[in-house]
Amino acid sequence: MTDYSSVIPAKAGIRGDEVPAAALDPRFRGNGGVIKTRSEPFLEEQAAPATKVRGYWESVFHRLRRDPVTLVFAVIVLLIVLAAICAPLIAPFDPYKESIVGRLKPLGWRGHPLGTDELGRDMLSRLIYGGRVSLLMGIVPVLIASLIGGMLGIAGGFIGGRTNTAVMRTMDVFYAFPSVLLAVAIAGAMGGGMANGMLALSLVFIPPMCRVAETATTQIRALDFIEAARASGARTTTIIRYHVLGNVLGPVFIYASSLVSVSILLASGLSFLGLGVRPPVPDWGLMLSTLRQSIYVVPFVCALPGLAIFITSICCNLVSDGLRAAMDVRM
Amino acid sequence: MIRYILRRIVYAIPIAFGVSVVCFSLVYIAPGDPLQTVMPPDATAETIAIVKHAYGFDRPLPMQFLIWLGRVVTGDFGVSIATRRPVFLEVSEALANTALLAMFAVPLAFFTGYVMGAVAGSFAGRWIDRVVTGAAVVGVSLPNYWLGIVLVIVFAVEYMVLPATGMGPSGSTAFNLAQWSNVQFLVLPVITLAMIPIGILARTTRAAVAEVRNQDFVQTLRAKGLSEWAVTRHVLKNAMPQVMAVMGLQFGYLLGGSILVETVFTWPGSGFLLSKAIINRDVPVLQGTILVLSLVFVTTNLVVDLLQSLIDPRIRRA
Amino acid sequence: MAHQPIAPYRRERRGRLSGKEIASGVKVAKANQLRSFFALALGAGISLAGTAAQAGGTLVVGMTAGDLPITTGNPDQGFEGYRFVGYNLYDSLVLWDLSKTAAGKATDIKPGLATEWHVDEGNDKRWIFKLRDGVKWHDGCGFTADDVVWNYSHSANDKAPEFDAAQYAQAHFYLGNVAGVSKIDEHTVAFDTTVTDSLLPYELSYWLLISPCRAKEVKYNWTEYAQRPSGTGPYRFDSAVPHQRMELLPNKNYWDQARVPKQDRLVLVPMPEASTRTAALLSGQVNWIEAPSPDAIDRLKSAGMQIVTNAYPHNWTYQLNFANGPFTDRRVRQAANYALNRTDMKDMLNGLMLEGNSTLPPSTPYYGHPKIYEYDPGKAKQLLQEVKCLPCKVTLAISTSGSGQMQSLPMNELVKSQMDAAGFDVKLEPMDWNALLAVTREGVDKHSDYNAINVSRQTQDPFNALIRHVWTPQWAPKGANWGHHSNPEMDKLISGIFNEFDTQKRLKLLTQLNESMNDEAVMIFVAHDLNPRAMSPKVHGFVQAQSWFQDLTPVSVEP
Repeated sequence: MTDYSSVIPAKAGIRGDEVPAAALDPRFRGNGGVIKTRSEPFLEEQAAPATKVRGYWESVFHRLRRDPVTLVFAVIVLLIVLAAICAPLIAPFDPYKESIVGRLKPLGWRGHPLGTDELGRDMLSRLIYGGRVSLLMGIVPVLIASLIGGMLGIAGGFIGGRTNTAVMRTMDVFYAFPSVLLAVAIAGAMGGGMANGMLALSLVFIPPMCRVAETATTQIRALDFIEAARASGARTTTIIRYHVLGNVLGPVFIYASSLVSVSILLASGLSFLGLGVRPPVPDWGLMLSTLRQSIYVVPFVCALPGLAIFITSICCNLVSDGLRAAMDVRM
Repeated sequence: MIRYILRRIVYAIPIAFGVSVVCFSLVYIAPGDPLQTVMPPDATAETIAIVKHAYGFDRPLPMQFLIWLGRVVTGDFGVSIATRRPVFLEVSEALANTALLAMFAVPLAFFTGYVMGAVAGSFAGRWIDRVVTGAAVVGVSLPNYWLGIVLVIVFAVEYMVLPATGMGPSGSTAFNLAQWSNVQFLVLPVITLAMIPIGILARTTRAAVAEVRNQDFVQTLRAKGLSEWAVTRHVLKNAMPQVMAVMGLQFGYLLGGSILVETVFTWPGSGFLLSKAIINRDVPVLQGTILVLSLVFVTTNLVVDLLQSLIDPRIRRA
Repeated sequence: MAHQPIAPYRRERRGRLSGKEIASGVKVAKANQLRSFFALALGAGISLAGTAAQAGGTLVVGMTAGDLPITTGNPDQGFEGYRFVGYNLYDSLVLWDLSKTAAGKATDIKPGLATEWHVDEGNDKRWIFKLRDGVKWHDGCGFTADDVVWNYSHSANDKAPEFDAAQYAQAHFYLGNVAGVSKIDEHTVAFDTTVTDSLLPYELSYWLLISPCRAKEVKYNWTEYAQRPSGTGPYRFDSAVPHQRMELLPNKNYWDQARVPKQDRLVLVPMPEASTRTAALLSGQVNWIEAPSPDAIDRLKSAGMQIVTNAYPHNWTYQLNFANGPFTDRRVRQAANYALNRTDMKDMLNGLMLEGNSTLPPSTPYYGHPKIYEYDPGKAKQLLQEVKCLPCKVTLAISTSGSGQMQSLPMNELVKSQMDAAGFDVKLEPMDWNALLAVTREGVDKHSDYNAINVSRQTQDPFNALIRHVWTPQWAPKGANWGHHSNPEMDKLISGIFNEFDTQKRLKLLTQLNESMNDEAVMIFVAHDLNPRAMSPKVHGFVQAQSWFQDLTPVSVEP
């Protein structure tokens, strides 16, 4: 858990109004994956957005279509999400139904394809339901952080001056904590639970998100076409809506997508420490932690929640990498 | 340059103050009693009131904050409620233990990650690139505490070649790096801890190498007739500063955030101290640990920044 | 201690293979290969450890405690702290008899630093304690009546220079009835009590005495004292690495020569995580662990480990809300007790519990013949129907872990499903251990939304076993009567107990109290822990007493 945080461009003491190269560069995580990089020819098509022939989104989809790896993993993510949404329809058993005689049974035992847990509950059903919680813990904090952090960043970047300084200085204080430390400290202080866990993670993600948005906004604001729009009498809201948002959403979206996997891992870590989701709610991190005691009885069953976290996290990572390449966002 | 350094240091002061406010208030949003740890489960409310007074927890919060801050500035972080040891001692010992892990995990991650990234970057787009970058993604996607549990089962319980937990017979006070009976306790936690930085550094290096390879000067070198090996050397050299910067940050993260790995291995480091302080609600330790760790983190970042700007003045920042 | 190879880590492990490994030849070969590689690479360190063989061996204990217990008197970390640090470094005036002869029955008190005690003939609020002669503190000073008086102000008088808030916090509960301590002569002290208290010797058995000599030497600096503690106990303090390990050595001059430790060194290592303890024992890092997880028992046995269990005064239960809600009606309380299938729970715990039918395990002398609530969901439903509470909604406050809570979550979830099946509608409210303790202390007034709390209790002596849960003066936040139970007849019985100085007659009253507590179904009785511990086959001589405390002195460890 050490440092999923490192994907967050945390750098205390950096002013946001210059582009902090190492801090915000996507290379921080590498352009990674099996995806195309700048070295590949497609980039030339949109190196100059003003002259692109295809529409931006059209070209993004075009590029995604030619990236089978990303597509495959996107499909897997989609399946995981669908399974979580439709959990009541597809789960073979009630995830809370206990059976003491049927506890800790191996894979494939009497209609339990993935065995049973320490209370005899069906593992497959609990994993499916657990996906709901884990995905929720992965997505909700990122959404909250994108919304709040994004707005703060855009506001700061667009207004500039003292407002910006005030916003970014406050963020800097939170940057001074390694993200895992901050998440654990907040969740620990507030006493765990799902809502508190989400809140803790949101607070952790707001500052970097704010910085991403602020950087992008500041860059845009300095460009000529904003001046031109101003000169032509466009209202501030219009400028923000058409010009700023259009150019800031890309980086924010990509950054958010890369945070989902981090959030899932962090949330599972909080649950593992007993600071996240409360039992008996099925959650992958929590299942991992409670099944740890039974590892000598059914080792493979006990490994399943970890595998679920791993698969989801790696798929999210790869899809995010693919999206980043396709959208060619350089933050 | 000196003015720049001074400016950066001065700039860190309000941040440090903000951090101290956050640290102090964090503890008090919590429900429950800061004296839980010294009270037996059957203690009565009356007993608690007397003890609370003896420890000074019955004063108003802003007052407690000022007293605390005043002491902290002079280097006095108070005394742990649970162990009665000075918090500063507690934190510095724990930090040293964590640093011991990081000292091995960071170089391990750096060399492995750098080699992986260099190979992948040099063969961008080919199968070897895919394999290596795939492995790097595994590194950042793996819940490392889970990996730790699996490693313990395999190497400590089943094969009995490495110990399962703790820092060994001498504990941290006499940890001897020249003795295998001590060093063996480092192996599993270091490997577990290095997994994520390996992934991150491999990805960083790959991207940096791939990018440098596309720069004009590389074409020039090639045109000048340099061998492919010589070109690669130039490329790697140019990609280095960026990778070094990321590594510096990783060191900071490992010092502050290895809570889960330390919990799995009962490693008496800063993360372990913190999680114990949370469970016990040992307020002075909790505040002290968070404060020290974040200050260390700020300092690490500052040093990385300054080093980087020494190497490459272009990235000097306001 | 730096190079004292305490954990016979290498030695222990050699040649001992798990059943699994023996079954698989390939694995053994591989393991040997790996081992010889490491042996080759680092021969020096290993051979050094190999020379450690000593007569009585080193006992290395993996404790469940989250940290090392404090050493300044009454320890923290619950009764585990008393078990491994408190009663090893220190003595109380009255000790618990943990010897082999007592193993078959529940433990009772025996003379400790006091050889004899009786209530003053003319004043039943005054106890006279005769002190043991010739006892020496670890620092060499002699034990005197003045030391007892000093220890009382150390624990209770917040104006005295020797007062220690932490000691007060730990000891006040046991000294609550004491008004003062005075010296009669060099070997006699008198305890004055605020009320007539026939149970005072039991209360004093938890009060550990520290050396005033050492305390004065360190100028009442308790942090320093903690690093150089001095008591009269069978072990003396050697060293500690904070949070990691504490090492104790035999006190060869212990006043009870029969209890001079047989092992050469006792090492205590805190390991709060059950699977960590199991792994540490299996990998040979420790040779004794407390409370292995029930699911790890088979694996431990297959590796040749000894599993030791015995009944002991522990009660895993729910204390009920008598102030509001359904449990104010006796029929609902009885229904909850009928609803539980305790055999199922025992199966779930791999047999590692005693079915809880009363506050006390049956081996307690004052157990008597309480009404037993056998599993009968039909009857439970019928009772609920009578009360017109069907489904009967109740909220139980539980903890996710905690001292003595056993397998808290699975057990609570099983209770929930069994009660739900019998007509209840149970809502579990999990919180962390300290939060639950806070709820417990503050009492039902502040937490009327909970119908019950799941805090397991020690039941080692009459007051802690029975009285405190039902006595009106013990209403929380003053005492442990969380749900404000009040019953005039029981209160009368209890004051009779406090006023009865004849042991046999008092036993009868206590038996009556236990039986009426069952009639009233004052709790939901669930389980008594069996206090499992696992140890390496090289550990010899341990007999588990029916107590929270254990005597480690007869234990020796084969090299």
